[in-house]
Amino acid sequence: MITVIAEARKQNRAALDERAGKELLAAYGVAVPRSVVVPGVAEVAAALGKLNLPVVVKVMSPDILHKSEARAVRLNITSSEELAMACEEILANARAYKKDARIEGFLVEEMAPAGQEIVVGGVRDPQFGPLVMVGLGGIFVEVLADVSFRICPITRRDAGEMLDELKGAALLRGARGRKPVSRTAIVDVLLKVGGEGGLLMTHAQDIAEADINPVVVSEHGAVAVDARFVLAKSGG
Amino acid sequence: MVEDVIERFKPLFEPRTVAVVGASTRGAALPNIFIRRIREFGYTGEIYPIHPSAQEIDGLRAYRGLGDTPQPVDYAYIAIAAAQVAPLLREARGRVRFAQVISSGFGEVDEGKALQEELAAAARDGGMRLIGPNCLGLYTPRGRVTFAEIGPEEVGGVGIVSQSGGLGTDIIRRGFARGLKFSGLVTVGNCADIGPNDLLQFYFADPQTKVIGMYIEAAKDGRQLFEILRGARAVKPVVILKGGRTSQGRAAAVSHTGSLAGDDRAWVALSKQTGCVLVETLDEFIDTLLMFQALQPQPQHPTQRVALFGNGGGASVLATDCFARLGLNVEPFAREAVDALAALKLPPGTSITNPVDAPVGTLQQDDGRVAEKILEIIYARGRPEALVMHLNLSAFVGRTKPEVLDNLVQAALRVQARYPGQAHFVLVLRSDGEPALEERKRSFRARALEFGVPVYDEMVNAGCALSALQRHERFLNVRESNA
Repeated sequence: MITVIAEARKQNRAALDERAGKELLAAYGVAVPRSVVVPGVAEVAAALGKLNLPVVVKVMSPDILHKSEARAVRLNITSSEELAMACEEILANARAYKKDARIEGFLVEEMAPAGQEIVVGGVRDPQFGPLVMVGLGGIFVEVLADVSFRICPITRRDAGEMLDELKGAALLRGARGRKPVSRTAIVDVLLKVGGEGGLLMTHAQDIAEADINPVVVSEHGAVAVDARFVLAKSGG
Repeated sequence: MVEDVIERFKPLFEPRTVAVVGASTRGAALPNIFIRRIREFGYTGEIYPIHPSAQEIDGLRAYRGLGDTPQPVDYAYIAIAAAQVAPLLREARGRVRFAQVISSGFGEVDEGKALQEELAAAARDGGMRLIGPNCLGLYTPRGRVTFAEIGPEEVGGVGIVSQSGGLGTDIIRRGFARGLKFSGLVTVGNCADIGPNDLLQFYFADPQTKVIGMYIEAAKDGRQLFEILRGARAVKPVVILKGGRTSQGRAAAVSHTGSLAGDDRAWVALSKQTGCVLVETLDEFIDTLLMFQALQPQPQHPTQRVALFGNGGGASVLATDCFARLGLNVEPFAREAVDALAALKLPPGTSITNPVDAPVGTLQQDDGRVAEKILEIIYARGRPEALVMHLNLSAFVGRTKPEVLDNLVQAALRVQARYPGQAHFVLVLRSDGEPALEERKRSFRARALEFGVPVYDEMVNAGCALSALQRHERFLNVRESNA
């Protein structure tokens, strides 16, 4: 279960890459998109056979942390020809962004169905240990800092109260003509990340910060579309 | 487990023997003052001054070291130069239960950090528990020991732990002036050994303690604090005044107590998850403790609707706004209550919805006894969860006979006693600082407190404290109804 952390430690990495982060989430029961990793452009076409369309493709590089900023991501790909072209293009973008970036291949993922984007996060407080955070995606987190924190482990009631506390909580209930999203699905993600025996409690020594951003929530469920785990220095 | 913690702290809160280190033969040092204070406070146990050469200090036989006293020492008060403390503790030979080190020059300054390590090790070697260093002392009315010049004589229900000594003094003195009575107050300073969490566990177990107040600058073990509070399920209200919650305040906290302060969002989360009440200022701290000391929380019907009754139209309007911002409802009464109040045929200028605004001309009817009828109706027909009666004492000066105010206060106290547990009753006595009025206020306050009615100086103080009570009641309400 923690092999991804051990592996990253062995390679002296400061953070888990996206694929390792999602593997960690999946190990705790958080839904992540089905994906295939391919080493190079030549192999991408074969990958499509295993996935439902449309897909997303991303360049995998330990040297590029912000993939969208490097334009190393392409969404909504519906054919193998399109996928091959996209790979060439984002590879070139990645090299233009950072000349000597190490390229470890491509991550091809099924695209999550549309929904409300939320952010689930974690941080290790020097006095209280792991804290879990939730907020609505986009400007709600980045500009308005509309988030709520709790000390781990949280209970189901704590998780519900965290959501009620958000100023944008009405959006989850279906404000402005949108469909309401599954509150249970969000609460479940929060418990798997911040609950008793959850990800943050289990790896309190190793994880300094976590950003699961976004988690896309629909009427039916929640999928973690991107994730980043910063490892604690020295593991202590 | 509960008995254990009570038993463990008994020598601290009810010491049979007290050693005092640092008193001088000339009787002028802080420890000499401490000896005088505990004698005046009625301490009847043994007092052992410790001195390297003197035979006698303040009329008491002196001893060379902590290991040389006739009886083992329950509590040692130590105020000598920092470097001398560790050697002193090492020679205690397991004959001291609690040593409180007042001296500073330890972990709060860089050059004292090593000395503090040494001090903690010496306390372990000497077989005692250590409080401090860098603190002021303890105040325990049940044990008749106090470091403070002024404080309540009686034992009460408010248990305090303070990381600041000076603030500890303020809490005793200001709390005393506003009617707090304590089960104990311990200043813990740098917390080289015993910290706020240890005393929190004692106060939870202690049957004398009804409400717990903590002044915390740095939670060395925030996780343990979280676990203790969560485990206690808010069985007693805990009010926390946290210093260093902003980054600027935190810089001050580092230099003050010598450890890192926690992050503000963790404290907010702590209060949401455990039901402890966070307050921002010393006044709010005391006001909130007073509320919990006087009133029994009602988790079955958390405070929501508040009735206001008193003189001063503007004051009522401002209070209504202020209470609304705090999440308290001052909404008009139902028809039944309004009709009953109308039937009293009060003079024009009296407003009989909620807030009930009755000018002095109305309140002096029947020499003030009219208040009894109004309050009866509010209780019986208005049925709020809390009733705040406010009197602007200044407005009565030169207009009414002096006994009108007495009668108003008496009427209030009589009526509230007839409705126990139905609505929280709070009195606000406003004045302008004029000495004669302040004196009357003091005596009204004392009388009200005998009836278990908390008295506040201004509406905002009462509002903040009621809102804290509401948060506590709501927490219990939600957790008890479907745990």
